[in-house]
Amino acid sequence: MIETIYVEDAIQNHPKTKFILNKFKKSRIISINKYGEIFNKRNQNFRIQKANPCLILAHKKDNFVLPAPEGFGIGSSKNFYFSHMYNCIYDCRYCFLQGMYSSANYVIFVNFEDFDISIEKIIENNINSKLTFFSGYDCDSLALENITGFAKHILLLFRKYPQIEIEFRTKSIQKEPFLSVKPMPNVILAYSLMPELMSNSLDNKAPSISKRIRVISELALKGWKIGLRFDPLIHGENWKELYQELLENIYNNIFLDNLHSVSFGSLRFPKRMFKDIFKLYPHEPLFASSLSLNNKMISYDIEIEEEMTSFCKNLSLKYINEDQIFKCSI
Amino acid sequence: MNNLKKTKNSIRWVIALKEEAQVILDYYKLKPINEKTIYPIYKNEEETHWLIICGIGQNNAAASTAYLYAYSNASNYTSWINIGIAGSCKGNYGDLYLVDKISTYQRKKSTYPSTLPKTTLPKMHLFTSDIPISDYSTYELIDMEGSAFFDIASKLTSKEFICLMKVISDGPENDIKEITRLKISNLIKENLLKIIDVISYYERLSEEELQIIDKPKLFHEIKSKWHFSATQSYRLETLLRRIEIFCNKKDIEQIIKNCETSNSVIKVLNTKIKNNLVNWSKF
Repeated sequence: MIETIYVEDAIQNHPKTKFILNKFKKSRIISINKYGEIFNKRNQNFRIQKANPCLILAHKKDNFVLPAPEGFGIGSSKNFYFSHMYNCIYDCRYCFLQGMYSSANYVIFVNFEDFDISIEKIIENNINSKLTFFSGYDCDSLALENITGFAKHILLLFRKYPQIEIEFRTKSIQKEPFLSVKPMPNVILAYSLMPELMSNSLDNKAPSISKRIRVISELALKGWKIGLRFDPLIHGENWKELYQELLENIYNNIFLDNLHSVSFGSLRFPKRMFKDIFKLYPHEPLFASSLSLNNKMISYDIEIEEEMTSFCKNLSLKYINEDQIFKCSI
Repeated sequence: MNNLKKTKNSIRWVIALKEEAQVILDYYKLKPINEKTIYPIYKNEEETHWLIICGIGQNNAAASTAYLYAYSNASNYTSWINIGIAGSCKGNYGDLYLVDKISTYQRKKSTYPSTLPKTTLPKMHLFTSDIPISDYSTYELIDMEGSAFFDIASKLTSKEFICLMKVISDGPENDIKEITRLKISNLIKENLLKIIDVISYYERLSEEELQIIDKPKLFHEIKSKWHFSATQSYRLETLLRRIEIFCNKKDIEQIIKNCETSNSVIKVLNTKIKNNLVNWSKF
């Protein structure tokens, strides 16, 4: 339940604003000038806000689509990302969004039409390149789909460009935008996963791993291409058994012909970000393990990272081809 | 200013008039402090609640908030409360409202206080004016201190720890000239249960925050046995927080008992964490 919704004056009459507000008839609506008056101001407590976040409806002015960071891709020569939303309804303890913004409120940019224009412009300017767009870098791309309808909107655009890939990265079990339309070969539904035992402790407020696997299995069977994102890989007691069980469970339960790609990523925090997150949650078990400073990043020791990646990769190779496996290294 | 003992919850009240404060002073058993101060200050025996009578107007509200912060040694987990009467064109006489937006004549931009979650109390937009306003038609709530209080308090703590509550005392049908000291006192009194309920949330919030930011259990004990530089102290604090997740006090004491220097304390704690394999079934 969202108790308070801040709405920028400029978009009060935007159809998407009305569409969203219509879903929150009991919420208190407060008009604001710019979303920056509320979001990411100093002197906010992220942890307390996270317990009861507000929603901010805003107009995005620029930077609709940005080049993806190095190491984020899944095989294309050029990668871009866009975020119709800042922040996430989930509360995953390893997530960089905790250290990214001082505010835990959700910002939704309602001017989807401007995302369309920017995306099409990039497609036109890169006519000879293989492009992948990523939705859900500053948020979970599907978690608030029933409120925003963004995925449904953007699918229509990408239907016009079957040669351009779009990846929705998510932990959500929202199926509707995909079950109601014909599968599109250029769309990758990418799910973040980790062993259930670890997820129970770390993926707060997110759907359980077993529920995610059920949805993945259903969508793959319907013909949607699936991405599996084991990012970050989490270390701990019996990690090999836990990851083996998870990987085998997934590979044995999904239609592998529709598995697009698998990527493995290490647990990494920029030093400053780690400091902020640790300050917010000093009693988290995630921080009670072998984390140290390597190349300006707080991470597991390189040997641990390599052992985990290679273990998971070797196990995956029993089921899929090497060219389907990627390393996420941002 | 004072060498205060560390207390559990921490509440600071900034209230314009003694008549508005009287019910709070009585309920929380706040007594005047035994020193001459610029503004009258009250506190309870446990020194968890402090209250300052700021007088009317934004300058007084700003100055007294800063004054109370310094005088009472408030911390960043202290909750700041402003309560008082307000004019309104919209609400009912005598009703209590939480404030979630504040505007003034002087400033183009509004400010947006947080309010406690899951409350049934109604919320309103507050306009803080430097002069009494008799035309109520434009504003939901009108007072003379709220904006300045919020501006200063939000420099002292995060906005989740700040609360403004207003009781409607005047409006188009209740002439401001008819307000008496007794009426003011009664207006607050009639809302005391609601106020107590709100305050219990902020007491809990400050207690929980203290639990999180407080130094680890063994920090001071270890620091008294070995000499730690400022950098080492920070390192020690971080390591203790991490190790406390999987080691109890006894185990930690055992690990460090043979250390001869602060460096070796840090080293053994670091090694212990480095070798820890998190048992995820426990969390």
